[in-house]
Amino acid sequence: MKPVPSSLFRSAFGALTLFAGGVLALALAFALAVPRARAHIVLPEKLHPVAESYRRVSFILNVIPVAWDQVDPEIVALAEYWRAIDAPAADNFLKDGQAIIAKATIKPDPEKGIEPMPRRQAAARVFELCTRVIPVLVRHHLKETEQRTDNRLETLAKVKKAHGIWQAFEDTLSVVDSEAYRAQGQAWLQMTSALGTPGLLGAGAVPFDRENFRQQSQVVLDYLDGSYGKEFHAVEGRRLAPAPIRSATFNHEAKLPLRLPPGTNINKQLPRPRQILNMTARGVDESETALIALGDMAFDSAEIFGEPARSLGINCNTCHNKSITNPNFFIPGLSARPGGADITGSFFAGQLNNGHFDPLDIPDLRGIRFLAPYGRNGRFESLRDFTRFAIVNEFNGDEPDPMLVDAIIAYMNEFDFLPNRYLNRDGTLNEQAPADARRGEKIFTRPFPQMNGMSCATCHIPSANFVDHKRHDVGTVKGSEPFSRDRALKTQTLLGIRHTPPYFHDGSHATLREVSEYFNNYYKLGLSARELADLTAYVETVGDGIDPMEDTVHTLEAEMQEFSFFLSAFEFLDDKNKPDLMGLTFRTIATEIRAHKWDLQDYTHLPVLDKMAELMDQADAARKTDDRVTMRKLVAAFRELYDKNKVFLK
Amino acid sequence: MKRTAFLSLLLTAAALSLPLPAAEKAGPKPKLAERPLNAKAAPLNIAFISYANPQQVARDSEGVTKYLQKYLGMAVKGFVTLDYGSAIEAMRSEKADLAFVDPLAFMMAHEQIGARPLLLEIYRSGKPSYHSCIWVRKDRGLKQLADLRGKSIAFADQVDMSGHLMPRDVFVRAGLLPARRIEGEFFKQIYFAGGDEQAMRAMFNGFTDAAGVSQYSLGLLRGEERDQVMALATSIESPAHLLMARPGLGEELTQRIKRVLVALDKTNSADKAILDKLYGVQGYVEAQLDDFAEIAKVAAAYGFVKKPEMFSVGKAKP
Repeated sequence: MKPVPSSLFRSAFGALTLFAGGVLALALAFALAVPRARAHIVLPEKLHPVAESYRRVSFILNVIPVAWDQVDPEIVALAEYWRAIDAPAADNFLKDGQAIIAKATIKPDPEKGIEPMPRRQAAARVFELCTRVIPVLVRHHLKETEQRTDNRLETLAKVKKAHGIWQAFEDTLSVVDSEAYRAQGQAWLQMTSALGTPGLLGAGAVPFDRENFRQQSQVVLDYLDGSYGKEFHAVEGRRLAPAPIRSATFNHEAKLPLRLPPGTNINKQLPRPRQILNMTARGVDESETALIALGDMAFDSAEIFGEPARSLGINCNTCHNKSITNPNFFIPGLSARPGGADITGSFFAGQLNNGHFDPLDIPDLRGIRFLAPYGRNGRFESLRDFTRFAIVNEFNGDEPDPMLVDAIIAYMNEFDFLPNRYLNRDGTLNEQAPADARRGEKIFTRPFPQMNGMSCATCHIPSANFVDHKRHDVGTVKGSEPFSRDRALKTQTLLGIRHTPPYFHDGSHATLREVSEYFNNYYKLGLSARELADLTAYVETVGDGIDPMEDTVHTLEAEMQEFSFFLSAFEFLDDKNKPDLMGLTFRTIATEIRAHKWDLQDYTHLPVLDKMAELMDQADAARKTDDRVTMRKLVAAFRELYDKNKVFLK
Repeated sequence: MKRTAFLSLLLTAAALSLPLPAAEKAGPKPKLAERPLNAKAAPLNIAFISYANPQQVARDSEGVTKYLQKYLGMAVKGFVTLDYGSAIEAMRSEKADLAFVDPLAFMMAHEQIGARPLLLEIYRSGKPSYHSCIWVRKDRGLKQLADLRGKSIAFADQVDMSGHLMPRDVFVRAGLLPARRIEGEFFKQIYFAGGDEQAMRAMFNGFTDAAGVSQYSLGLLRGEERDQVMALATSIESPAHLLMARPGLGEELTQRIKRVLVALDKTNSADKAILDKLYGVQGYVEAQLDDFAEIAKVAAAYGFVKKPEMFSVGKAKP
C-alpha cells in the first residue's frame, strides 16, 4: 500500500496569480496528443546529448515560470558541441542565447526604465536559436559521412550521431507530420544500408553506395533546412515545439505531443521504504477496511488527477512513495534538485501558477494525522481541505466525490512513524541511545537567550511528536521584500528525518549537520564543534527508525496483493451505488497491472496478468452499461484467477 | 550480433527483470584451488570485443583476468579489439590465446585458423543458446510470414548471425526466400539499420513492416511498447556466444580454463560480480563443435562458411 497527494509540495508565498487568457491557452496547447501509460520502472530515454539538451530546453522554456538558470547550461552544452565543428558560429549562438537570458532575468527598475524582456518573447527567441542549431549539426555529420573512410565503424558512428541529433525533433514530427516522419525514417534506413560492410575475414563484403547515401541524406537535409533553417520561427501563441509548418504534409490539426524531457526520473526508489499502516500493524483483516482500501487505490491512481498528470501516470504515490519522500523524483524545469518540484507553476495546473520558481522538497507523510496544519507553510488546518485542493488545483483534477476524499484521508490516517528503539513514550531518549545523542538532547532542550529564551524543543516538542502545530519564521525563506511577513513555515517533525534528506522546505541542505550549523549561525548560538556534533547526533537518533527500507527489490508480489486489496472495496461501493468509484477502481487496477507486468520474474505467467487486466477492462465496460450481474461475475473471476496464480506472480 | 550490442541486450533484459529460470549447469560447483603465480610461464592473452566502448570493456575485463590468474597460476592479460576480425587475426598470429566471439566469427575462425570452441555463455533464459524473431507490430494485421510479401523488413547488419542470417533463414525455411541472398524477390525493401535497437525502432515506428533480430531485442523497447509488438515467427536456435581458443593452446591448460570458468556461480556474489561484467551472462557450459552444425549450414548459404560439414563431427578435438 501507499500514501497523499502531493499536497505537500506547494508554495505558500506570493499571491495566486491567474493569467486567465494566456494560461488557459497554454494549458490547452499542452493537451496531450499521445497519452502513454508508464511502465513501473521507466528506463531513461537514451538520446544523443544534443537531442537531450534540445528536448530539455524546449520543455523548460514552455513552463511558467521559466527556470532560466536551467536553460543556460543547456545552451552552453549545445554551444560546446557545436564549437568543435564551427567555433565562431557556436560562440555567436552562445552569446546571443545568454544575452536573451540576461534580458529576461534582469531586475526591473522602473526609475531607470529597466524592464525585463517579456517571458514569452524571450523563451521564443531562445527556442528558435536552439532549433536552428539542429539542422546545422545534422548536416555536418552527414557530410562527414559522405567522405567515408575505410573504417566502416567510424562511418556508422557518424551516421548514428547525425541521426541521434535529428531525434531532437522526432517526438514532434511523428505526431504532426507523420508522412514526412516515415519518409525521413526510411531515408535514414537507406543511409545505414548504403554504408555496406567490409565483411568478415573476406566474406560478405558490400561496397559503400555513395550515390544512394548522398541522395537519401539530401532527403533529410532538405526537410530540415526547409522546416528549421534560418527562417524558422516559433508559432505565435502556441506551445514552443519544432512544428514543421512549412512542410506540405504538416497536420495543422494535430496536437503537439507532450513528453517529460530527458533527465526526468519519476521512478520510485528501490529498495522501497517500509510503510507502516496502523491497521496492518494491529493485525487487522485488510479485506474488511473498505474505505481505507478505496483510499489506497485513489492514492495510486493517476485518474483522480487531470492532465497532464493523468496521462503521464503521475499519482500521489509517485512523489510520496509508500508514504515517504521519493528522493528520485526529478523533472527538469520543475525540480531544482531530486526529491522536489515546483507545483505552483503552469505545468500541472495552470490556474495555480504563482509566477515564480519555488520548488519544494517533497515531504514525508508518515504520521500525518499528528502533524497539522498542512502544507509547508501550514496554510490548511484541515487535511481534507488540503487533499481536495491538491487534487483539484495542484493536479488539475475534477472535483472529487466526497467519499473519495474521505477514503484518501482514512488511508493517510493509517500512516505511522517508523518505530524508534531509542525513544521513550514522552519523546525523551532512553538509555539505549548513543552517548553523543544524549549529550545533544541537553543542547536541544537548553533555552537560548538568542532565541528569546526558547529552545529547539520549544517548537519541536518531544512529547508531541516533535511538533508544536505552529508556524515560525526561522530565516529559511527569502521574503518578497525586506519587511514582508511571508516567511513563516510550519514546524516539521523530526521523526523519520534521518531517512528523508535533503532538508528544509526547499531541500537546500543536504545533511542534518548542515541544518545544525545553519541554526547555530542564524541564531548565533555559539555552539562548539563538539556541541554541534552532539546536537546532530541527537537529531539523527530521534530521526532514525527500525528497518526503514524493505529488503527486496522484487515488488510485484506485494503490488499484486495491494491490487487485490483495492478490489476489496468493491462490495462497499456496489452497496453504496457508486458506479464512478467502481469504474475508477477497475481502471486503476488494470492500469497498474499493465504497468507492473514487466516486473514479473518468470514471463511464462504474463498471460495471467494480461487476463487479469482484461477482466478489469470488462468489468468497467459492464459498469458503463449498468450490467451489475456481469460486473460482479467479472470481479469474482478476477479474484479467482488471482488466488489460483498468486504464488507465481512474483 | 555485435558483441557490445549483445551485451546491451542482455543487460537491458536484466534491468527489466526478464525471467531467470535455473541455468542448465550440471552438478555442484567444483572446488577450485588457488595456484601460486608461475612468473616464468608465458602469459595467457585474452581478446575481448567491444564495438562501442573499449575503455569500459577493458575495465570490466579485469575481474575475470584476475580470477583466471588466481586459479590458473599464470599471468593473464586482457586486451580489447574493436571487431571480431581483429580478434581472429590476433589469434592467427598467436597474440591472442582466447577470444570471446559470436558463433559466426567462431565458425569462420575454426575454418580458417583452426580455432576451438571452449565454452558457451548461458543467458537469462537459462540456455546456452538463443534464437531470432521476426518482429511486427500487432496493429499491422500481419498473421503469418507470407503476409510480409511486398513489404519491408529491417535487419541489424549485413554480417550478423542473429540480426540477419538467422532471421533471413526463417523465410528460407518457409519457402518464401531463396537460399541465397537475392534482393527484391519477396520483400519490397530490405534495410540494414545498423543495430538491433535501430531495427526494432524502425519496425515500431512504422518505417518498416518487420524487424528480423534477436529474441532479446524485445527488451530494447519500453514496457508499454513491448505490448504492441509480437513475434510472427522464430528462427532455429543458435548456440550462444562463446569463448574460443587458438589452435595449439595446450590441452591441460585448456581443460583448466574450462573448469575454472564453468565454476563461476551466479549465486555467489563474488562470481556474480565477475559474470555481470563479463557481458552479463549467467555462466558457462562446455561447447561442442557440433553445437554449430545447423547454423553452419545457414552461414554457408551466404558464403561465410565454406565447409559446414566440418561442424558435424562430434566433439571438438583437443
